[in-house]
Amino acid sequence: MALAEVRLLAGEEALLNALPHTEAGEAAKAHFAAAGLPNRRVEAFKWTDVRAALADGIAEADGSAGLIPECLQEALILDFAPEGFGLEGEKDQGLIIETEDSLELEGAGPLAMLAAGFAPRAVVLRVTQSQSRPVVLRRHPGAPMRVRLELEAGTRLTLIDTGLATAGLSTGLLEIEIGADAELVRYSLQNGGTAAIDFTHVAVTVADTGRYHAIALMFGGKLARAETQVMLAGEGASCLIHGAYLLSGSSHADMTTKVVHGGPNGQTRELFKGALQDRARGVFQGKILVERAAQKTDARQNHHALMLSEGAEIDAKPELEIYADDVQCAHGNTIGALDDQALFYMRQRGIPEAQAKALLVEAFVTEVFDAIEHEGVRDWFSDLARTWLEATSS
Amino acid sequence: MLNINNLQVEVGGTPIIKGLTLQVPAGEVHAIMGPNGAGKSTLSYALTGRDGYEVVGGTATLNGEDLLELAPEERAAKGLFLSFQYPLEIPGVPTLTFLRTALNAQRKARDEAEISVPDFMKLSRDVAKKLGVTPEMMKRPLNVGFSGGEKKRMEIYQMALLDPRFMILDETDSGLDIDALKVVSEGVNALRGPDKGMLVITHYQRLLDHIKPDRVHVLAGGRIVDSGGPELALALEADGYDRYKDAA
Repeated sequence: MALAEVRLLAGEEALLNALPHTEAGEAAKAHFAAAGLPNRRVEAFKWTDVRAALADGIAEADGSAGLIPECLQEALILDFAPEGFGLEGEKDQGLIIETEDSLELEGAGPLAMLAAGFAPRAVVLRVTQSQSRPVVLRRHPGAPMRVRLELEAGTRLTLIDTGLATAGLSTGLLEIEIGADAELVRYSLQNGGTAAIDFTHVAVTVADTGRYHAIALMFGGKLARAETQVMLAGEGASCLIHGAYLLSGSSHADMTTKVVHGGPNGQTRELFKGALQDRARGVFQGKILVERAAQKTDARQNHHALMLSEGAEIDAKPELEIYADDVQCAHGNTIGALDDQALFYMRQRGIPEAQAKALLVEAFVTEVFDAIEHEGVRDWFSDLARTWLEATSS
Repeated sequence: MLNINNLQVEVGGTPIIKGLTLQVPAGEVHAIMGPNGAGKSTLSYALTGRDGYEVVGGTATLNGEDLLELAPEERAAKGLFLSFQYPLEIPGVPTLTFLRTALNAQRKARDEAEISVPDFMKLSRDVAKKLGVTPEMMKRPLNVGFSGGEKKRMEIYQMALLDPRFMILDETDSGLDIDALKVVSEGVNALRGPDKGMLVITHYQRLLDHIKPDRVHVLAGGRIVDSGGPELALALEADGYDRYKDAA
């Protein structure tokens, strides 16, 4: 029986026509022409409907790439702009940067394929010695990014990636290989306007006793989704994934993660916190899969969200799938409102209601940032959160 | 100073305070005693403006100003302070940040200049020393992980720092051992003054050995059913509240 032909919407057609004539671009085009873009009928996208968001076409890219904060003045900046890839700042020994026109796709799923399809080439970073200078990946509005990052055994790198478009479609694909006993610390920031569509896909493989630490802050956009897939392949490999999302207006942010424990003695720590108001929508999908070989796995996942107004919506899907018998796995998921008693207590001390709310939300959310070792980045993220709170509570 | 006239309060549609009249002149400390369920905590919440404590009749003024029309934070800025029976834990908010925010918010509401950080630090240290509040306690998130006694001490510490004009102490003695009770009582007594008033709500007479009241009132069934001097508290300690059963 022949499959029914997928009828593409005008926006989908336009998107597919915008894909470049590269190998990955053609592959993406062929795939989506046959399957269509992910939509609410696809389980993994039931709360983040890509097709619907693109139905009317894509707004012209707008906004800035963002300023590099004071605390990262020493960093090496990699700019991904519509006109191409650029470097700014000093590069230290032990970091090799190349570009590749054609690379096999390591990530999985439609957004990985789409991001690979849009990127004209991949930038490959090889870390052969630990880097004290952070590396910033700056995604410009409307630009695609594809980065392959390889950390050799025992090396360490701090990576910051930002996507701040106020309009247009921006995509990012990060394929990361963390060698034995190597460590990647990643801080990511997404802040979009009401016409911004932002998709990122991060695929990480971690070898023996390697570590992946990631802390993300998202403010959402018309549609923003950050996907993370971590494969803890080696023995004693670990990951820490923290995320905060602060959404107002009609912002949509989706944090979707999948961690696979493939080797024994691995550890996962996940903490996600969100605060939403107006008609904003937050999506959290977190899966931890423990394979049969991954004995003595210690995995914890927590997602807690605060609803600050009635019209906001949170969709959460925590999942544990365990095939090993000697493991410790726990997860918690709560969605609630601000504590009225705490609010009254603060007001009785003279703190006006709006300020008391802002203090409580800030305290709630910033727990996510406690894991940030870089003091400057921690202050930067905390300040962004505070600015959002002040703007929304006034 | 505090003037309550025929106050009626409902909680969830149920009348709890049923026509309470009470005057506390400046410079005086009045105690309110009563059995469990008499409406003691309801009175303190109604006066401070907590949601869900609906005033359906009567008046309450502080220095002639109507309290009942004001938001809780506005009542606080007018100098009304409630020491909670069960102080809340506020995770993630450092005690000193909380207190400086509260103090400056009150000052702003009164059109006074904000206190500078160095001045605040000095003030907070001076007050802390007197009340046995350690620097460690001040650095922690407010009340998080504190014992019952520490929380009560922290309430009095906040009270001393914010320097209110009228103080309501709701069961401040509960959860305190005798040493902590002495420290807390000394702290409270230091805040007495000719232009200040205090309402001490307690189930037991023990606290009143340390904080000597000018007047004692018995609250039962939502009304003041008896009033007298300090000797009334001693009589209650000996005889219990049974004789007020019918009065309510």
